Amino acid sequence: MLLLSKIALGFGCTVLVAGGYVMRDGVMHISVDEYRPGGDHVHLHLPASLLPMIAHFVPQRDCARALREARDVLPAAKVAVLELHKYPDAEFADIWDGDEHAQIRTRGGKLQIDVESPRENVHLSLPVAALRDFLDELESRAPDN
Amino acid sequence: MMERVRKTHRLSRSFMTAALALLFAVLLGVPLSGGAAYAAQSASASQESKTDRWLHVRVDCTDGKGEKVRINVPVEMAEKVLGAVNHDRLQGGRIRIHAAEVHGVDLRAILDAVRTSKDGEFVTVQSREDNVRVAKRGGFLLINVDKKEAGRDHVEIRVPMKVVDALVSAGKDELDIVAALRVLSREGDTELVSVKDDRNTVHVWLDAKSGSTD
Repeated sequence: MLLLSKIALGFGCTVLVAGGYVMRDGVMHISVDEYRPGGDHVHLHLPASLLPMIAHFVPQRDCARALREARDVLPAAKVAVLELHKYPDAEFADIWDGDEHAQIRTRGGKLQIDVESPRENVHLSLPVAALRDFLDELESRAPDN
Repeated sequence: MMERVRKTHRLSRSFMTAALALLFAVLLGVPLSGGAAYAAQSASASQESKTDRWLHVRVDCTDGKGEKVRINVPVEMAEKVLGAVNHDRLQGGRIRIHAAEVHGVDLRAILDAVRTSKDGEFVTVQSREDNVRVAKRGGFLLINVDKKEAGRDHVEIRVPMKVVDALVSAGKDELDIVAALRVLSREGDTELVSVKDDRNTVHVWLDAKSGSTD
């Protein structure tokens, strides 16, 4: 009985510590709703620390091609993300075009991109720290030439 | 023997209680310390952002679907991001203007001439289509365009001369955008661009507020 308790405690601790580690950067939220027959409805709440891992699993060939094209922009994107840290709650863009509305802002240290239209709603919420790690991961995978 | 078993049992219960207490402390501690760190970071960021200058762009179209655009960019952020871009003509915050020509006009020479001259009106063009006025007054370069035909556009551009100085401070065939932004960030609240016609209004201005008010 005592042995079982110890095993359970050890297992519980491991799960909790692993959970704490995975959740250290917060949660990213991706939500897509398509308002058409058979439209997709995707709602994901994922640990943000998984983002660099996702980048890690993109096939090297596809990743290299995309990174070659983004090579000029990547340093600027990294600087922008570093700067976003200074503005944890700010409105950067708010655009209305008829019944379409797009917003880019930061809320509580998360970058939020919201697009709403009668055809679809897209909401993306991403901790800025995770975005920085993601860009670091991409940069480390960038080909030299 | 029974006493030893009881003692071992008591010890293991104490150990379990301590472990569980530690576990709860860890569980509560992770978000608390994260929250405290975030609060501290947020406080310092908001303290810092209080002194920041923001560049605002506001576009309102009353025709068609009634488009509205609100862009708010911290000048410091624009400075750093532009400085990191190395693409085509924009390199390290400087834009190359080949042979210093823009549609046959030597832009740099004009800016240089305006910069070194005294206050006054430099260009006044009155035609059937529009009136154009370029002047320098009170440390500002002023450009006014009034269209007489269709739409009755009215364009007002007001740029601090210090910003013009910084803009032309780079090499011969370059305009230093980052230097201009740096100088702009030290200016007070300034209306930079205003465009009005019967359907659209565009405003570009600088202040210390992080959002643009309607």
